[in-house]
Amino acid sequence: MSTAASQRPNGLALFILPSALLFALFFFLPIGLMAVMSVLTGNPVVMPKVAFTMRHYVRMIDDPFYLEVIWTTIRIGLVTTLVALAIGYPLAHWMARIKSRTGHALLLMAVLAPMLTGIVVRTFAWMTLLSDKGVVNQTLMSLGLISQPLKLMYTETGIVVGLVHIYVPFMVLTLTGVIGRIDERLEQAAENLGASPFRAFIEVTLPLSLPGILAGSLLVFALAISAYVTPILLGGFQIMTLPILIYQQISANFNVGFAAALGIVLLIISLILVIAYNRALGLVSGQRELQ
Amino acid sequence: MQTTASSSLPAAQQTASVRIPRPTRPYGRTLYLAANIAILVFLLAPIAIVVVFALNPTPFIQFPPVGVSLRWFEKFFASRDFMHALWFSLEVAVLTTLSATILGASAALALARGNLPGTRLIVATMLSPLMLPAILTGLALFQTYVLLDVGRPTWGLVAGHTLVTLPYVVRTTLAVLHNFDTRLEEAAQNLGASPLRIFFEVTLPLIKPGVLAGAIFAFIVSFDQFPVSLFLVSPGNETLPVTLFNYLKFDLDGTIGAASVVSIVLAFVVVIGLDRTVGLRSYVKL
Repeated sequence: MSTAASQRPNGLALFILPSALLFALFFFLPIGLMAVMSVLTGNPVVMPKVAFTMRHYVRMIDDPFYLEVIWTTIRIGLVTTLVALAIGYPLAHWMARIKSRTGHALLLMAVLAPMLTGIVVRTFAWMTLLSDKGVVNQTLMSLGLISQPLKLMYTETGIVVGLVHIYVPFMVLTLTGVIGRIDERLEQAAENLGASPFRAFIEVTLPLSLPGILAGSLLVFALAISAYVTPILLGGFQIMTLPILIYQQISANFNVGFAAALGIVLLIISLILVIAYNRALGLVSGQRELQ
Repeated sequence: MQTTASSSLPAAQQTASVRIPRPTRPYGRTLYLAANIAILVFLLAPIAIVVVFALNPTPFIQFPPVGVSLRWFEKFFASRDFMHALWFSLEVAVLTTLSATILGASAALALARGNLPGTRLIVATMLSPLMLPAILTGLALFQTYVLLDVGRPTWGLVAGHTLVTLPYVVRTTLAVLHNFDTRLEEAAQNLGASPLRIFFEVTLPLIKPGVLAGAIFAFIVSFDQFPVSLFLVSPGNETLPVTLFNYLKFDLDGTIGAASVVSIVLAFVVVIGLDRTVGLRSYVKL
């Protein structure tokens, strides 16, 4: 950046050390230990003889129940991501294109407000909305549209609705940044050449925002598959996802080794997503340099 | 702050100068606005509903509400469990904010000014707790504390919270550091200021908004943090979200609504404070 600076680390570089220590002790060491625990027969502190084993991983592959749990988690994550994209894109587009500063600030507040409300609180809100005697069912019944309450809670649909609400702001914020960087004159040029606004959007804006779509989707997917509160409360302990299974192994079964193995699987999936996300965002900034 | 405002202005003027009036297509525009307003309702209605239930006096979820009462707030503030949890959450959030801000801001300074090799990789690593499942951070720390036989101390919880809030401070501070003019520091140096004096009189005041924004994010994220806390709290010493969660598993009355409103109000006060002091717009990019 600055031309005067040499390329060798200077004194300021030392300021990284406290954070490096924090990460070493409270991040890399614990995750390393988790990886070790996932291939041991027991807790080496309390059990004198522990041996290497792959049984925790074998158990996951052998038992269709665990594969089903992994698939349920991924399925909920995928649906959440698609819905979050479908409703996040229009809002992000509006935020990126709105001219009024006040309008932009208000939209930003509307997107941030849910983010600033804790996950437990928002899940509670959805429980009051979706339960059998909840707001949605009571309203529909008093309007005479349904005679029996719809089963909204304790279903995957309920979980997806709650998760979309929690993670759509991440989608909107990622997309707004990317759409905002697309030169509006490109759309105007297309329209001047006779394209309808819709066609100009489909052929110009949408393709240019693909890296943002990718980045936002990967982020939401990564967050959705690691959610715990919403699936357990809106699923009513009936739908099992990977994070729920992990916590259950610790709290109810105290099977630390199996929990660790499940954790490693979730970690690997997430790591792949993080790397892909960084690649996608790299595409966005690469595109900006070209302009 | 000022640099972003001045750099965005010419672009806006350019756009305005080439604008050609579009043929009016009212239906498309109406549909676009209607869809967006529906999305905003979806985003905001649940928060409004929480407030409604906090004020509705019936002991179960009832809609439409029958009246306005403060009985759930009374019950919340009279409950020893909730009050203990609220204070414990505040204590953890304050400690987390302090440690995350100090560690995060110094790390950002090192990354932006220290000529470290592999900066991109270090930044990606430091931001990774944002995307890696927090429940795994909780699980891994829980296992480590069990293996080391340290129990479930408050410092262990604060360390976990620091890990997941540090990325916000690093990000907001880096954003400011990348935006500001290093010639200001060079000028101070040429005028004979010592490095320490440059730091306290030039660098620190300039990066303060970014650090402050990060600190406020850290506070809110720690205050609302759930997955890490779930593994690391000890029974009888739980944070507010964990207490709320345990309560929600069995009860669905207005106390939860009141507790929710209290935490929402707290978060909003903090954010409005943030907006007033430093402005939000530049710091919320993910």
